[in-house]
Amino acid sequence: MKILKSWLNDWININDIHSDDISEALESLGFEIESRLDKQPNYKNIVVGKVVEIYPHPNADKVRVTKVDVGSKVYEIVCGAWNFDINAVVPVALPNSEIKDGFKIDKRDIRGVESNGMICSASELDLWDDHEGILKLSDQIRIGSDFSTTYASVDTVWEIGVTPNRGDCMSHLGIARELSNYFNKPLEQNDIKLKPNIESIIKVNSGKTNACNAYLSVEIENFDISDSDIKIRYRLSSVGVRVINNVVDYTNYVLHDIGQPLHAFDRDKLFGTISVRKAEDNEILKTLDEQERKLSNEDLIITDNDSPIALAGVMGGYETEVTDATKNLLIESAYFDKVSIMKTSRKLNLISDASIRFERGIDYELQQKGLMRFITIFNNDQEINYSEILSSTKNSISHDVVSFNKNDITNILGAELSDEFVKQTLDKLQIESDISNDEISFRSPSWRYDLERPIDLIEELAKHYGFNNFDSTLPIGNNLHKKGEYWNKRSYISNLLSNNNFYEVQTLSFADNESNEIFTPEKKPVTVINPIDQTKNHLRTNLLSSLISTYKYNYENNSQSLKYYEINNVYDDGKHHLYKSIPNQEYTLGLLIPENENNPDSRGMLLQNDIHTLTNIVNYLIPSVQFEHLLRPGFHKNYSYVIKVNEKIIGYMGKLSYKLQSSLNLETSLYIMQINTEKVLLSEIQKNSYKPLSSYPFIKFDLSFAVKDDFIASTLISFIENLLPDNENNISIFDDFTNEKSRNLGIRIITRNYNKTYTDEENGEILDMIVKNVESKFSIKLNTKENNAT
Amino acid sequence: MAELNFDKVLASLRLRLDEVDSENEFDEIVKEYLGKESLLSEERKKLSKLSKDDKKTYGEKLNTVNKSISDNIQKAKKLYVDNKYSSLEESEKDDVSINWVSTQGSHRHVLSQVMDEVVDIFSSIGYEVAYGPEVETSWHNFDALNTPDWHPARYESDTLYTDKNLEHLLRTQTSTVQIRYMENNEPPVYIVAPGRVFRSDQLDATHSPVFHQLEGLAIDKDLKFTDLKGTLEYFVKKFFGDEIETKFIPHFFPFTEPSAEVLVKWNNGEWLEILGCGMVDPNVLKHVGYPKEYQGFAWGVGIERLAMLKYQIDHIKNFYDNDIRFLEQF
Repeated sequence: MKILKSWLNDWININDIHSDDISEALESLGFEIESRLDKQPNYKNIVVGKVVEIYPHPNADKVRVTKVDVGSKVYEIVCGAWNFDINAVVPVALPNSEIKDGFKIDKRDIRGVESNGMICSASELDLWDDHEGILKLSDQIRIGSDFSTTYASVDTVWEIGVTPNRGDCMSHLGIARELSNYFNKPLEQNDIKLKPNIESIIKVNSGKTNACNAYLSVEIENFDISDSDIKIRYRLSSVGVRVINNVVDYTNYVLHDIGQPLHAFDRDKLFGTISVRKAEDNEILKTLDEQERKLSNEDLIITDNDSPIALAGVMGGYETEVTDATKNLLIESAYFDKVSIMKTSRKLNLISDASIRFERGIDYELQQKGLMRFITIFNNDQEINYSEILSSTKNSISHDVVSFNKNDITNILGAELSDEFVKQTLDKLQIESDISNDEISFRSPSWRYDLERPIDLIEELAKHYGFNNFDSTLPIGNNLHKKGEYWNKRSYISNLLSNNNFYEVQTLSFADNESNEIFTPEKKPVTVINPIDQTKNHLRTNLLSSLISTYKYNYENNSQSLKYYEINNVYDDGKHHLYKSIPNQEYTLGLLIPENENNPDSRGMLLQNDIHTLTNIVNYLIPSVQFEHLLRPGFHKNYSYVIKVNEKIIGYMGKLSYKLQSSLNLETSLYIMQINTEKVLLSEIQKNSYKPLSSYPFIKFDLSFAVKDDFIASTLISFIENLLPDNENNISIFDDFTNEKSRNLGIRIITRNYNKTYTDEENGEILDMIVKNVESKFSIKLNTKENNAT
Repeated sequence: MAELNFDKVLASLRLRLDEVDSENEFDEIVKEYLGKESLLSEERKKLSKLSKDDKKTYGEKLNTVNKSISDNIQKAKKLYVDNKYSSLEESEKDDVSINWVSTQGSHRHVLSQVMDEVVDIFSSIGYEVAYGPEVETSWHNFDALNTPDWHPARYESDTLYTDKNLEHLLRTQTSTVQIRYMENNEPPVYIVAPGRVFRSDQLDATHSPVFHQLEGLAIDKDLKFTDLKGTLEYFVKKFFGDEIETKFIPHFFPFTEPSAEVLVKWNNGEWLEILGCGMVDPNVLKHVGYPKEYQGFAWGVGIERLAMLKYQIDHIKNFYDNDIRFLEQF
């Protein structure tokens, strides 16, 4: 919302306060300053003149020649505008002056007549957008005056943010009220007395609905539709309102002045009683933008003899619109319910200065004053006839007295506020209050809906005390240096992968159906009903698709083939586990390794990765991990595994299927993995034990077993580990080859007893024990010299 | 007597030394010229056969020659070693201004780093990390946070919903975690909750449908507005440096009262909003059934905003494009 300094000055005397100080005041009162414009006349040496003669140009039809009296002298000026007659008072740019944006005006020959300058339009003086003709001024202004002194040409406009709870500050009066406490200056009353001189013809009734608390009207006869007063046009255009004609301008003016929206009807198009009701479903109203609106029973409408003539508080009707032909007016000033106006204006996407004020709540006692100001401004400009104000009010809104203990202020704010400060603040804000020894009671004024509870008033006091005037104290919480499992796990994983040349990425959570389906068809995606991008209306069920997209993006745009990971949620609307009514959402790690990877050393060749690069990193991440072959969608037939920790499945990994690689146009193979980090505790994956070192000599066996193709070597290692539970063991695979007979695994067992040196005999016993147990457990055969494959 | 031609011996030594091309040869040369089999040793054996005077004279002569040979070898060896390593080092050069191995960046996403940094700061004053679901009920996102059902934030133009009845949505603020946490934990509460939030915005320079916030919540028996100020001033100073100026200006959030925005004074003198905060509204505490004697404060800070300020990043889209040229800088 824009506010103008000279306009505020109508309500509180602030002309002598520097605009910087006003900015600071506004901000400290909670009005965010979005912009500030210190206005200066955008012209030089413009004077007020009076047209004393007009005659045709001898050589041109489209222009006229005028004689303009500027007090000291009469000048001959050629003018192309036709919207004025003799005696018009106008702004004149004499030779040696400047109009908008430094454009110099001088004597000029126009088709054989010397023009001594020009008569200016409002747009030529950068006042407002008006190309209709020259700007006509009031004939009260002294001829020869410096034009810039005839209105507040040096001024400040602020564009401020008003928070949604402060509808009362959506006007100059509202802002002035707040400033009056800040600067300790009284608020002007600007009282008005009216002298009605005609009888009203149309009756009004606020109707049965609770959504209209008050409906007031006044009728006006004997007026001209014309331009409004220059001061009004200047003010409105300064706060960003388009100037139209006096009737529209004055209704807009009252709205920005005191916050009461008004609506003007052409009275001669009304017939019976004006009343207010909810529309019927499918009732039609043609609004003044000439659109036929289909209404519903939520919409509040104004009716004339029960037929709709306007959408209450949102937009007028076409049939009763004020036009250039309008002779008589009926001006509406009403109080409509906030929620009703909000629903209608949002539904129809008709958001206006008026609807915004209604939906935040206007002063429920302001309707009468609104009409009075309208009449006064109109009457100041031209003499009009007007009726008594008719009023139909339900008085259904009132504010109760609220009391609370004074200690509550200190309990919340941590500072003591003196009774004097409290009293003075509330008085200045016109909040009725009573302060006793222990209690404060108050009643919210008719314009404020945000003061319902003690906390509301405490906030108000804190604001006027100044947030920056409170002390600062630092409490220490009860979780000192205890970030918790969730964060520690995330940090552990992230640090480990980043230190291994994986780049962490953050991708959006939305996915199309296909990128969910290819890896996780078993999951039911969560659908966004109003998606930003219709093609991506699901939430992702896996992280793999977006990792592949990231890989491709950097490969194609930057020729970089790199490793990536992401830790974020995946979502599944299948059977709910953790939450009853919302889908499963699991904190998940996804990672990707390309087969050909750019070497971090740019002199080096590409790095070659294979399935072992993937298993290595997973082993490194989770030392107790186990893999089990299981074919998952999107994966290579053989290189596809579930990942288990302590017999729990926590994820899966493998090589991207060649078919998918080809359909995604990927030049290199990819290894990918995804684990649900919520299924495993940090204590399960972090290594937190050590193997003591034996001081006795080791014994060593190199054994070769003939195994099946799908045999998992790590199971052999852990089995043998368990056979020697009291030893320091070092067991590893040193060979894996397949010949025409079978696949053969070479396993090296190095073991030491903690208490003794093994004898040759014990040595032999251990070997036999291992071979016997392994053979029977896995049904595999030791390769001996006799049956040795090689 | 026939003396050995010592000049000849020394000349041959010099020739021999000139031809050396390995450090080990010096030991052989010592053996050759001064060892048992050397000419000099042979001459020394003859000494016993000489007269006393001759023995003395010739003996001295042999000693002098011995020393001269030994000195020559030492000198030659030193020269050889010096030359050898010096020319080796001479031959080895490189242009270290070339970064063959890119070492810039931590490989962590800048948003994660900023979240970490903020978490670290609050952890140092006693806050634990909490988290909650991103697909939420409207009740947790709005009602429980004192946002009435007619509030504009609830319109479909602002919020992404996952059902037609508008009962479930993608959370628009991490404040939902306040409610989730308080539903499941007794006071006192000192938590921060970093996480993703969602709005109905196209991805462009200044908007993203997905972004990150960090919510903070402190509930205890005696927390006041002054504590809120102190806590957030501490955070701002830790994050932006001790010199930074802060101010609190009044604002409105449905779930806090009083509510404030915190602004910091930037290098160019401009005041920038960096977070919203306030005393938790009594209605919120009532919704989660906390006893009356508990009160406290909450705040929310935009992680993208902090990252953009800290590194002068001008385009929010950068965070989600994951272009390697961007990723590798952090």
